[in-house]
Amino acid sequence: MNRSKVFLGAGRYLFVGFASVIALVPVVWMATMAFKPREEWTSGIDQLSWLPKNPTLDNFTFIFTGHAPNLLVAIDRVAVGPAISSLVCATLGTIIAVVVGTLAAYGVSRFKVGQNLPLSILQLRLFPPLAVMIPVMIMWAYLNLIDTWWGLSLIYGIVTLPFSFWLMMTFFDDVPREIEEAALVEGCTPWIVFLRVTLPMVKAPLATTILFVFILNWSDYAIALLLTRKDWITIPVFMNALSTAMTGQMYGAKAALGLIAAIPPVVLGILIQKYLVRGLTFGALKQ
Amino acid sequence: MNVAITEHRGEALPVARPTINLAAQSRRLGTLMILPAQLLLLFIVVFPLLMQIYISLTYWGPTDGVSWIYAYQSLNLFDNYVTFFTDGDLWAAIARTLFIMVVAVPLEFLLGLGLATLFVDSFPGRRIFYSILLTPMMVVPAVAGYMFYMLFQSNGPVNQILSFLSNSNVELVWLSVPHLALVAVIAADVWQWTPLVFLILLAGILAVPEDQLKAAMMLGASWPQRFRRIILPRMRTVIIIVLVLRLVEAFKLFDVMFVMTRGGPGTATETISLYIYKQTFNGLEWSYVAAIGLTLLVILSVLAVAGMRFMKHEIEIEKAMEPKTVEEKTT
Repeated sequence: MNRSKVFLGAGRYLFVGFASVIALVPVVWMATMAFKPREEWTSGIDQLSWLPKNPTLDNFTFIFTGHAPNLLVAIDRVAVGPAISSLVCATLGTIIAVVVGTLAAYGVSRFKVGQNLPLSILQLRLFPPLAVMIPVMIMWAYLNLIDTWWGLSLIYGIVTLPFSFWLMMTFFDDVPREIEEAALVEGCTPWIVFLRVTLPMVKAPLATTILFVFILNWSDYAIALLLTRKDWITIPVFMNALSTAMTGQMYGAKAALGLIAAIPPVVLGILIQKYLVRGLTFGALKQ
Repeated sequence: MNVAITEHRGEALPVARPTINLAAQSRRLGTLMILPAQLLLLFIVVFPLLMQIYISLTYWGPTDGVSWIYAYQSLNLFDNYVTFFTDGDLWAAIARTLFIMVVAVPLEFLLGLGLATLFVDSFPGRRIFYSILLTPMMVVPAVAGYMFYMLFQSNGPVNQILSFLSNSNVELVWLSVPHLALVAVIAADVWQWTPLVFLILLAGILAVPEDQLKAAMMLGASWPQRFRRIILPRMRTVIIIVLVLRLVEAFKLFDVMFVMTRGGPGTATETISLYIYKQTFNGLEWSYVAAIGLTLLVILSVLAVAGMRFMKHEIEIEKAMEPKTVEEKTT
């Protein structure tokens, strides 16, 4: 009995440990690549090293200033603009999605209006973005929204609306109504009740929703690829443009960019781990 | 103006506010609150949809020199839809997408389920391993594509590890051989999305009432028996949700392929989204792309409605199970 338990325990660690290694290998490879000097980017398979032999910050210097002492080439567009673009558009998109989504969620949850709104919002998430992009691209061109921060923020706010709406709706459904009813009896208007009573009660869920939506917006690639050209490209778009503009692959520089793009979602994701299931299933499952 | 007046009245007679007034006020506020969402939907669904239908009935393209409004000049009614059904490349791309879905999603499901069962009871280091296993799905998909692009280079770490394991010089050119490129792309998808399946299934398993499991254990049910008879039936909804989520997302697959292979070599990893992308920017056949998009839209909507019905049915089954178990407990 005891021996089989030990055996089971060992087997579990073996499997879980193996899975963890697999989960980390690609991340580690990119992270170390970001600190490798040019000579170590590619080499014969027998000399491939997992840790940089001569760690350097050249790759980061290169992407932010356009040149670095040991990298022979120079680029005229640096990562500062794309970083600002990613940050600004993801943030504004999150604000749009969360404000609109929270208002609508409260309306549907409390006042029983717009009964088919939840499903119509959900369908925004069903279709491949590329299948419905033609009219959006024409509209964006017509309204001069292509390659602008407001154009990209607006579309981000729309595509992540399903998440903020559904999440906030389930959070509102969880809040007991008695307190709100008491406040109404006291003579508060419904709007004041929402603002002063309900919202403070969902502070933590609201924060979760904000972070969750931000991660989604930050992770976008396809939309920015279609709706930006030059001034407002985001980090992932910039990163992939780097190889076509250069002779040869800029492994280290791209890895440095990838690392910068990867860090915020991973950190924020760990912060909201408790609510991840709920977020990813549009509130259908509560953990 | 109206709002101001009612508020003023409210202040004057705080106690005697009639409930009818409150109900009307609530409904008005509710309507106002959902208004922005409705406007956004109108802006991004209704108007573009009409435009897409219109353009799909013509030969219009962005290089025609006329605005889309004048697309009727090249009206052809259903030509684009006829092309849709006879376009071999498109159907190959659809078949490829389905193939990737059919291989990747079950793999993710089995691996995720296996890992989830290992995490049911606590063991030292559980939280750390849990966090580590969730990392892949937090990585920006385009960046994940680049990670796997590097890993699968012919002088990259994957070949290095294979060489080490087989004690010979493995020099596979992963991304240039059609079958191998497909393997690499599926590996990237499985790596990134198994954590999602794992996370949701684990939540589902942990939600199974503990007293039922304990009762079964006391009656002598083994772990496989408990898993098959109690946990699996209880997880119907969770399993359906996770499969629907993954299938929908896998059908949209774009970022990883675009970064890793651009659909290549040739068209070996060209998914439906990549095909559409190429038609949009290389072929510039926007009216045809609009027709493809609309047809997919219709097919997916039908599937979604059917799925929704099915899910409702399943949830009712699950609800019907509830009172039975209560009875069993009391008797």
